[in-house]
Amino acid sequence: MNATIQNINFSKTLIATAVAAVLLAACATAPVQPAGSAEVRSKLTQLQADPNLGGRAPLAIKEADLAVSVAEQPQADAQLAQHRVYMADRKVETARAQAEARFAEDQRPALSEQRESARLESRTREADAARNQVAAARAESAEQKLAADEARGAADAAQLAATNSERQASELQRQIDELNAKPTDRGLVVTLGDVLFTSGQADLRAGATGNLNKLVTFLNEYPSRTVVIEGYTDSLGNEDYNQGLSQRRADSVKTYLVGQGIGSNRLISEGRGENAPVAGNESAAGRQQNRRVEVIINDPRGAALR
Amino acid sequence: MNERLSARRGLRLPTAVALIGMLALAACASTPPAPTASLDAAKQAISNAERADASRYAAGELSEARIKLASADAAITERRMDMAERFAEASRAEAELASAKTAAAKANAVNDEMRRSTGTLREEMQRTSGDKP
Repeated sequence: MNATIQNINFSKTLIATAVAAVLLAACATAPVQPAGSAEVRSKLTQLQADPNLGGRAPLAIKEADLAVSVAEQPQADAQLAQHRVYMADRKVETARAQAEARFAEDQRPALSEQRESARLESRTREADAARNQVAAARAESAEQKLAADEARGAADAAQLAATNSERQASELQRQIDELNAKPTDRGLVVTLGDVLFTSGQADLRAGATGNLNKLVTFLNEYPSRTVVIEGYTDSLGNEDYNQGLSQRRADSVKTYLVGQGIGSNRLISEGRGENAPVAGNESAAGRQQNRRVEVIINDPRGAALR
Repeated sequence: MNERLSARRGLRLPTAVALIGMLALAACASTPPAPTASLDAAKQAISNAERADASRYAAGELSEARIKLASADAAITERRMDMAERFAEASRAEAELASAKTAAAKANAVNDEMRRSTGTLREEMQRTSGDKP
């Protein structure tokens, strides 16, 4: 009887224990990993193994790893298990995004360097191109300038020559005017009056050489010119005597000019006597005009001066 | 008499065991108070994401975070605090993912722009150097 009671008690205890165990088990244990947790783990493993991303968000990856571990624990409450898997998945995704952002940031210095080098290269090329253009333009303009300079030089030279010859011509004219020379068919003729000589004499009067000195200046200035010195008298007196007197007077002028440094080879002296009067010999005034020395200035290079 | 006694004695043990089981269940299923901390954290995460312009770069995640926050609020009004807590946690996780994706998208956009401008420069150089003899 006692044994029966004990037997019954034992079996009741057994049943109760089993019920309690089942109740507890419902709460605390499930034999398998929650659905989806394996996929999340594999996602995380993939991220960790990625050479570009694996080491770039250590905190977020650690957090995700923790969440995956929690999700992997067997869970009887299907909704809670699902929630944990979901949370783990979000954390893995977040860790991946953070690693991607970090990776992009880490690439930036290299990208920046590439861009800078491209920019530098481009600027260098631009500068080179501009420099070449400038050089070409400069070369061209230098060429043009040279041509212009040459043209200007030629023009200047021509101008100078023109100016010079003009000046020379005007200077010559001035000197001719100074000499009181008159253009004639025979050339420029300077008439030296009888004031040069005492009546009947062939010696030059002292102090009467002013006009002759102008001739000296002129002949010094124009060394190519030659002159013919012609002596004339009036018709008073012996013709032969007059011829001789006119010759001596012409010689006297020549001698004076040679004495002033004019080469004798440039000078020809001739006596013309009483021939070729320029005025009548009837009056004293006319005779005075006929007593004269004429100096004809020639230009041996060409036509006589006019 | 003996039978009743033994039955009474027999009942005592199963009752105690059942009580333990009940307690264990209660420990498992107890209703927590409103998850204010989790809700605040979710709201904070959402406003962070909004400030980072996540609506442009991670619109799906951001709107999911908002929906989950609204679900958490709804669960609270139904006094289902455990559910509310999970929704709040999920909302925060979505919002944080939105922020991270936004940051990654922005960083990549900057890099893409840099690559593009470098490519343009190189292209231009090739063209100009191609033009020149």
